[in-house]
Amino acid sequence: MAGQLVKEWAGIQQFPAATQEKLVDLLAKLKNQNVDKLTILVMGKGGVGKSSTINSIIGEPVVTVSAFQSETPRPVMVSRSRAGFTMNIIDTPGLVEGGYVNDQVLDSIKSFLGRFLMMKTIDVLLYVDRLDAYRVDDLDKQVVKAITDSFGKEIWHKAMVVLTHAQLSPPDALTYEEFFSKRSESLLKCVRQGARISKKDVQNFAIPVALVENSGRCNKNEHDEKILPTGTPWIPNVVHAITNIALNGKGGILFDKKLIEGPNANDRGKLFIPLILAFQYFFVIRPIQKQIRYDVARETKPSWA
Amino acid sequence: MSSFAAPAHLLPLSTRRRNSSTNAVVSHISSSTSIIQCNLPSLAATSSSQNPKPSKSSPFLLNSIISPKSLAVSAASCILFHIAQPILSGSDSILNYSGGGGSSGSGGGGGGGNGGGEGGGFWRFFSPEAVAKDDDPQQEWDSHGLPANIVVQLNKLSGFKKYKVSEIMFFDRRRGSTVGTEDSFFEMVSLRPGGIYTKAQLQKELETLATCGMFEKVELETKTNPDGTINITIPFLESTWQSADRFRCINVGLMPQSKPIEMDPDMTEKERLEYYRSQEKDYRRRIERARPCLLPMSVQREILQMLREQGKVSARLLQRIRDRVQQWYQENGYACAQVVNFGNLNTKEVVCEVVEGDITQLLIQFQDKLGNVCEGNTQFPVIRRELPKQLRQGQVFNIEAGKQALRNINSLALFSNIEVNPRPDEKNEGGIIVEVKLKELEQKSAEVSSEWSIVPGRGGRPTLASIQPGGTVSFEHRNIKGLNRSLLGSVTTSNFLNPQDDLAFKLEYVHPYVDGVYNPRNRTFRASCFNSRKLSPVFTGGPGIEEVPPIWVDRAGVKANITENFTRQSKFTYGLVMEEITTRDESSHISANGQRVLPSGGVSADGPPTTLSGTGVDRMAFLQANITRDNTKFLNGAIVGERNVFQLDQGLGIGSKFPFFNRHQLTVTRFLQLKNVEEGAGKPPPPVLVLHGHYGGCVGDLPSYDAFTLGGPYSVRGYNMGELGAARNILELAAELRIPVRNTHAYVFAEHGNDLGSSKDVKGNPTEVYRRMGHGSSYGVGVKLGLVRAEYAVDQNSGTGAIFFRFGERF
Repeated sequence: MAGQLVKEWAGIQQFPAATQEKLVDLLAKLKNQNVDKLTILVMGKGGVGKSSTINSIIGEPVVTVSAFQSETPRPVMVSRSRAGFTMNIIDTPGLVEGGYVNDQVLDSIKSFLGRFLMMKTIDVLLYVDRLDAYRVDDLDKQVVKAITDSFGKEIWHKAMVVLTHAQLSPPDALTYEEFFSKRSESLLKCVRQGARISKKDVQNFAIPVALVENSGRCNKNEHDEKILPTGTPWIPNVVHAITNIALNGKGGILFDKKLIEGPNANDRGKLFIPLILAFQYFFVIRPIQKQIRYDVARETKPSWA
Repeated sequence: MSSFAAPAHLLPLSTRRRNSSTNAVVSHISSSTSIIQCNLPSLAATSSSQNPKPSKSSPFLLNSIISPKSLAVSAASCILFHIAQPILSGSDSILNYSGGGGSSGSGGGGGGGNGGGEGGGFWRFFSPEAVAKDDDPQQEWDSHGLPANIVVQLNKLSGFKKYKVSEIMFFDRRRGSTVGTEDSFFEMVSLRPGGIYTKAQLQKELETLATCGMFEKVELETKTNPDGTINITIPFLESTWQSADRFRCINVGLMPQSKPIEMDPDMTEKERLEYYRSQEKDYRRRIERARPCLLPMSVQREILQMLREQGKVSARLLQRIRDRVQQWYQENGYACAQVVNFGNLNTKEVVCEVVEGDITQLLIQFQDKLGNVCEGNTQFPVIRRELPKQLRQGQVFNIEAGKQALRNINSLALFSNIEVNPRPDEKNEGGIIVEVKLKELEQKSAEVSSEWSIVPGRGGRPTLASIQPGGTVSFEHRNIKGLNRSLLGSVTTSNFLNPQDDLAFKLEYVHPYVDGVYNPRNRTFRASCFNSRKLSPVFTGGPGIEEVPPIWVDRAGVKANITENFTRQSKFTYGLVMEEITTRDESSHISANGQRVLPSGGVSADGPPTTLSGTGVDRMAFLQANITRDNTKFLNGAIVGERNVFQLDQGLGIGSKFPFFNRHQLTVTRFLQLKNVEEGAGKPPPPVLVLHGHYGGCVGDLPSYDAFTLGGPYSVRGYNMGELGAARNILELAAELRIPVRNTHAYVFAEHGNDLGSSKDVKGNPTEVYRRMGHGSSYGVGVKLGLVRAEYAVDQNSGTGAIFFRFGERF
């Protein structure tokens, strides 16, 4: 796919004029910063709306979506370019299957990335979950942990939490804002735990949260933009957040062999083996031999001997 | 004036090895049975003439107060005592001792006291039973037929009557009192109250007493009782000599016994003086030539104390001294040692002459199956190097050294019967020849054992086709060239028709005495060809996972190493291993990756890689070294001491993917004795605290089959094998407190195992894939029942406990 001619971002045309305008602005901003390529990795549990979000952002149904089953058996990369700017979005299968983090999926993502993104960087990670889930559990933590273990803690510098199904009526006695802040806070807390970000580091890892509503029944404003219950049009909002992350000064995650296979423990310290061997001979075997000699000398001989 | 009898008791120590059926699987458990025999034929006493009474005028006297017979007997009883202690360490030993077997007819419990005729000068300390046996106690006895309460001289008694003795008394004329029944004098008469004796017997008894040298004067008086029985009173005058304030003990073994020269009664005073002087000179020379004896200063001081307290040296005192000296020798295993004489009496010094039992010759003999002496295959130096120094010529024979020799030779596993047998040297009075008699095992043996296993066929029904012939073929060629080199091989399969399915083979060559059989350095070279199949504990599920498809690790290769034994337990082994490792799944297909059960229930074969090469087959060569320092010992049945083991596998970069690694393990175990206890048979063992630490680590290439696993009866109890994880570095800590309870012990323990965060450093992270914790603790209680440990262990990861039964020791 990398060798393929990257398609023109046609879907942008479909957006309402106001959205288009904002997006073009953001792209221009990126270009101003000498960024002409963004690679976005989308991950999350199954069925939270990863693919739909991608479709919404691209503006065309690039990834097949079905309501009831996982339609993303393997990672898919969608690349679109516009005015010399290329955007690569990688859709991945849900990481959770049957109540467990599926290592196989993780491996397939890694191998996919290894195939197409070798020696390239991941600029943004979209961690997708639903807004309308009330609880975070251990599984979420495990998903975050799996991502951390695979890509390193650093990836959370480049991460953004995306909450789908944003158009909802919050439970009684809670305003939408309250609900959103509670939900995002609990999820962020879970992410921090899963990613093992210590309290001191929280400042360092400012993970933004964005809302998304992929449904066709999404409310629209006067400019025909899809808006959130708060009134903000969400597509420009998400892209804005993405550009912010891309430009937040932290380096992207360079995808190399080491990242795919993890640090090769088999190679670690190999150079020191001769030294270790010498140490073992002089400081372990020799002292034990000395002790044995001592034992022999000290051995209580029977009275007749 | 002196007498001597060669110490002629035989103490054969022997061990018998059943022709151990060498099974390929359990060949290392050789069933051996050791038998120690102790036969004590009475000795033929050589005696010289003796003076019945110590001559007061003599300035010194070689007094024949000690009967060699009784000495032999007491020595013999000591041997029995020693052998009866279950000292033989190692395998099941049967201690069989047949005492007695006397040839001189006195028989019975080793009591050889037939000192009658020629040995008239001997005391019979232990002879009464024997004599009593000689004259069959009769039912009937004759009344004395005399008025009651009159004193009758012995020679006035009728020679035809059988007198019943109702009481015996010793009357000390010097002190003017009767002697208590506990006195040692009573040991000397064979007469017993209630016994029936003829006049001749009583006369003989008196003669014996008179000639034993303990009495200056002794008589036998009888007093009639109204009921027809008689009372015997023995009035005596005990022999005494000048008081002494010095004591000397000398070893007179191998020295010619001083023969007293008959003193002519018609000697003039001058001649007599001359005679005594020459005798004195002779004796002094004798003492000078004699070697110092082994008796320690402490005992000598003790005896000196006895001498001082007593004042005058009396016969009874000498008897006590003799008993004390012999007691020490016997307690210390010098079974052939005897006090033969006291000399230099009537001077300030008491000289105790001891024949300690010097070894004049060490004889190694081979016997064929019928017990005939034959030419052996085993070379003598092989046996000689197993014999303790104390059995060499010129040393004093010690029964413990004999037992040690027996054990050492037995550990060679070359002989079916071993006897270590001291016998008196006929040519060399007082000398001992140590005979080592050996029956060799067959050099070559081969064995076939077969078994039929009926495996369930279609529908679980055994069919004819599914009956498989299986079994073991093994051969052994031992003691090649008589140097204990051996070659052994075995092949085991459960299906001879299709042996490629599971063929276990082993071919081993053992070459001891690498540095030469005369070199004290004990190094053994071993080369072997082997294969093995083991279930990998790396591919085991954690508590949440029920079934993880197993991975079998097959290893086949060659190994060559040299083992140097420093002590019985401490050794250093180093060598080269070349092996091929194949990992297979349940159905024996080579599998390159572990399998995992998917949540959906399916099985996916993309688990952690099983081999370094990623193909399922690895080949590698590496150096292996293992040094064990073990100074543990049994203290009344409890192990105390410490044990350190360091094991190192150093990859050489030869093999699939050029494996270069350093895999090392250090095990430190301390058995701390918590209470000082007296050592000895039947004494309670001390409570013991066991502290144990095990570190394992690997730098470099680490295939999963070489990863360290946590959990299991020898790692962290309370968990299954590998249940806690498989890691690159591990640390295990354990503490166990053993409290002796009756014959066994109960214990409490706590253990912890930790992967030190290194599970992820094993390729594929099998710990995580199979959802294991990577660390865990457990605690519990248990009791040792014979070989089995029954324990209740609580695993702290789940908080549940379970009862386990395990064989063998954890540490």
